[in-house]
Amino acid sequence: MKLGKVIGKVTLSRQVDSFTGGRWLVVQPLNREALAGKGQPTEPSLVCYDNLGAGVGNIIGYVEGREAAQPFEQESPIDAYNALIVDTINYMPPKKS
Amino acid sequence: MMLCRVDGNVTATVKHKSAHGWRFVICQPITADGVEIGSPTIAIDPLGSGLHSRVMVTTDGKHATELLNCRKTPIRNSVIGIIDT
Amino acid sequence: MFLAKVEGSVVATKKDPKMLGRKLLILRPMLVDDKDHTKLKAGVNTIVAVDSVGAGEDEMVMFCQGSSARLANGLKDAPVDAVVVGIVDAVDVGGKIIFKTGK
Repeated sequence: MKLGKVIGKVTLSRQVDSFTGGRWLVVQPLNREALAGKGQPTEPSLVCYDNLGAGVGNIIGYVEGREAAQPFEQESPIDAYNALIVDTINYMPPKKS
Repeated sequence: MMLCRVDGNVTATVKHKSAHGWRFVICQPITADGVEIGSPTIAIDPLGSGLHSRVMVTTDGKHATELLNCRKTPIRNSVIGIIDT
Repeated sequence: MFLAKVEGSVVATKKDPKMLGRKLLILRPMLVDDKDHTKLKAGVNTIVAVDSVGAGEDEMVMFCQGSSARLANGLKDAPVDAVVVGIVDAVDVGGKIIFKTGK
């Protein structure tokens, strides 16, 4: 699971049948520097399926790969799924001596 | 399994139902010398690892389904050992 | 999933039998520009993906990669790792619509 910041959303005009009713978030993955508040995220943004109700500005924990398709009753081709809406992050990397 | 260092934790009230009550730790993959590799990932921690401790994290999704007792859980990474030396 | 622009299509006569009858599209991933969140920037690589929604050239689509791609309709036994799963209507970043079909 990786942490990412929700920066937007996508609406689809046509989609695979099992996706009806889905919400799609544009997520910017957070790397070490961005988490520590010392830099800008550099990884490419992705689109993530959401049914927890995250909004722009929320930090979420999203799962990639095959596990992202697991929560669905009907088989769906999903490779990124929002599993947590983060309340607090306690991030304290050790200081380099 | 990945060798990681626990750099913090995350709390979330709204989450997938299979993950309720579980502790989420921020794990930074490292080399044997402690050099960071890539970005931190989030794993569930059933062992209660402390800040900056070195742990073994598995990416075996089946183990996560057994731990959480849910076949449809999206969670994949879990801490399976805290390293002594 | 990632956003992408359809740049063209691929025709292959000689291929794995499980790929027969599949429409193959050439996609250019479109990423939100990290220096300017109001623009989409084309990625460096191109991807060939199976089409499962009837997308045409120059359309903005959403595609799924990895083993989840096999969960699309009819692709259970096909050796695919990328499938187009939706045609994008609008992309909204930070409250601004940065892409809309038709514009």
